[in-house]
Amino acid sequence: MTLRFRSAVLALLVSAALLVGCGDDADGPIRLYTSVTEGTVNAVVELFEERTELEVEVFRAPTGEVAARIAAEQREGGIQADVLWLTDPLTMQQYAADDVLQAWSPSGADAVPDAYATETFWGTRILSMVIVQGRDIDRPLSAWDDLTDDAYRNAIATPDPGFAGSALAVLGYFASAPEYGFDYYEQLADNGLVVVNAPGEVVTGVAEGRFDAGITLDFSARNAVAKGSPIDIVWPSSGAVAIYSPIAVVDGAGSGAEQFLEHVLTEEAQVAIADTGWQPIRTDVPWDVGGPQVSVDWAALFDQRQDLLDRFQAILDG
Amino acid sequence: MRPRIRRPGPLLLVLVALLALIVFPLYELVRGVFTETDASVVDVLASPALREAAFGTLWSALAVTALTLTGATAAALVIERSPRRIRRWMRIGVLLPLLLPPFVSALSWVTAYGRGGLVDDLISVTMPGLFGPFGVVLVITVNALPLAYLVVAAALATRADADLELAARSAGADAATVLRTVTLPALRPALVGGGALVFVVAINAFGIPAVLGTPAGFTTVTTRIYRDLAFSADPAAFSRVLVLAALLVLVTLIVVGTADATAGSRRRPLHRVETPSALPATPRRRDRIALAVVGGYTLVATVIPVLALVLMALTRAVGVTPTPNNWTTANFAEAWSGGTWRAMGNSVVISGVAALVVLVLAGGLILVERKLATRPLGTVAALSFAVPGSALAVAMLLAYGPWLRDTVLLILVAYLAKFWALGHRPLAGAATSLSADVVWAARVSGADRTTTLRTVIVPMLRPAVIAAWLLVFLFGLHELTMSSLLYGPDTATLAVVTLNLQQLGDATVTSALAVALTAIVALAAVPLVWVWRSWTRMGAR
Repeated sequence: MTLRFRSAVLALLVSAALLVGCGDDADGPIRLYTSVTEGTVNAVVELFEERTELEVEVFRAPTGEVAARIAAEQREGGIQADVLWLTDPLTMQQYAADDVLQAWSPSGADAVPDAYATETFWGTRILSMVIVQGRDIDRPLSAWDDLTDDAYRNAIATPDPGFAGSALAVLGYFASAPEYGFDYYEQLADNGLVVVNAPGEVVTGVAEGRFDAGITLDFSARNAVAKGSPIDIVWPSSGAVAIYSPIAVVDGAGSGAEQFLEHVLTEEAQVAIADTGWQPIRTDVPWDVGGPQVSVDWAALFDQRQDLLDRFQAILDG
Repeated sequence: MRPRIRRPGPLLLVLVALLALIVFPLYELVRGVFTETDASVVDVLASPALREAAFGTLWSALAVTALTLTGATAAALVIERSPRRIRRWMRIGVLLPLLLPPFVSALSWVTAYGRGGLVDDLISVTMPGLFGPFGVVLVITVNALPLAYLVVAAALATRADADLELAARSAGADAATVLRTVTLPALRPALVGGGALVFVVAINAFGIPAVLGTPAGFTTVTTRIYRDLAFSADPAAFSRVLVLAALLVLVTLIVVGTADATAGSRRRPLHRVETPSALPATPRRRDRIALAVVGGYTLVATVIPVLALVLMALTRAVGVTPTPNNWTTANFAEAWSGGTWRAMGNSVVISGVAALVVLVLAGGLILVERKLATRPLGTVAALSFAVPGSALAVAMLLAYGPWLRDTVLLILVAYLAKFWALGHRPLAGAATSLSADVVWAARVSGADRTTTLRTVIVPMLRPAVIAAWLLVFLFGLHELTMSSLLYGPDTATLAVVTLNLQQLGDATVTSALAVALTAIVALAAVPLVWVWRSWTRMGAR
């Protein structure tokens, strides 16, 4: 019996030694940490690898998992990624504040509208938060205010701002817009607003008839409409809330990482982004925007995040 | 005098493994609590939102444990003593939910019983309270029941009380008295082990409360952890994750530690006899009632939800009526495009290896516990099971990231830490019933250590060993959060694929992946069940 245990331990140790042996070297592939959807990342990375013959290693996971991995790495020897390509600017702002991002001027950055650019990170595509409604509801919606109509009592859904960056952006927009403010959320809560985790769950719930309407990403809703789900996208008359998906080079990552970032801003990569269903950041790449878009003051939102979430929770609990 | 285990092999292995897999990573996690912003611990623990979540977690976990233990014990006592021809089917009915990952389970219940779901479409009935604490407790119970069932059934198969029960019956005791005074006391170690396991599964359940609890405003510690994780770039949010994970470790320490301490190390020196045939045959009417109850349960808890899931996977879009003219295979094609096969291969290999190593670790732990006549080591092994996968993965990165980054070993280490208890508890439950006298007798008759192990111990523990391996394997396959944080360029697992698909927000494709996976696992389980049956029969001889 002891022999078995000993050989088991030995086998473990040997395999450990073997696996540890194949660590990475300094001139290795470019490490990309991203929360961008898989199809889009793959398309852009393939183009880059064809063009430059550099290799990109992709670690893709939802925002929370990427952030948690980075948080652990920051506490044990530093961020291992060379490039960060995320879904919303808030997480990136934190890294900028931590001074781990490289400040520089990539070629192609001038094609990025000012509202979507900083010293250290640049927008790559735009996500729009819109209204989705069931096709067979009695009274169709047209504006954000319609969500407070008691015709849809207990049948309006939103993603959780405490979980989804996109929903937090919407919260930040409403809280700071004079015509809405937190009063708007009070009215939504009075109307029985249902909070689910992610934008996709809103689309599923509306399509199945669990909810009459909800706030969601136009990408998710568009895909469902394309497949034939009985839902309609309502572009709010006052404008969809625009969120930009930023990219940055980690300080000291080297020229490969810089080349990759510049590549993502090229017209070629932007076309690939558009082909995979996302609005490109470059205005010279054709894209049919569904209607007006409103921006969020990201710097202000970054500072007030916890406060906004607390107030949101208080209103829902109230 | 009994033969002492003179060689320190198992003890050394267990201590080193406990330190490396559990104590050190959890230490790194807890240390983070104090080295991050120091005021936050008090703030986090004092917030009313957390009190609500902690309360929700605690009471729902206790409710799940009570319901599951009651259900599993009743089911095991009825099913394991039924005639062979119906036993097999009833076993499958109770164990089926094991094949579904928890978040898929939640999704399938919503698709089946929610507004606009399958049952609503057919007969305009929805399940009241599906969203909220009731639904959360119900669906976790259905998912945890197989776990407790396997533990109790394995102990029933190992334990030998049929002669005692017969003796009690012939001495005039009625069935209820026998159950109370003979059967249940004999099952106590298994019930405590199974109960501890179920409790820990319930407090770190995430998929089910996220889908069924969140829309009703019912929060648990795990859903709060996941919310904070989403913003863990912010040190304050990250330290909240650490504090909440540490809180779950503490709760586990208290609850499981207390259960383990009260269970003691009572060993019952019983001999094994072939049980079912020694008992009077159960009346046919009782068989029919049992079959109807288990059948009804299976229909409501598994068949209808899985049917709803399959229909969802076959339908071209969410919300379209699932009639044949709307069927498509496109969702399956999408789910299995790209790296899904490779990821499945990785997951199968890592989970399979992890399950084997867990058996070695669990066996070692049991030997050490027997030798020291003490339980605390088993409690320690349960601690990391209570930490939600995401937080445990962070702990692993903190502890081993610099050395094992990107290697398959990092995922393996995380699986071992997480699932040690999952393999240990069913084995320990069964091993407690294994008589030391039998082993002693074998040694006295001249069998050496290895022969005793091969000819006596392993055959008697076979059902429990296979159950433990299967549990760890399935939990590894269904695991969603750990490997998605720990994977490297060559070690993407099913979790990575699932989350990639899930982010697209298309429930039809997610369902297709879940259905395909479940089918593959179910097919793979057929030979395994066959092996199990032939082995148990062999062991009974």
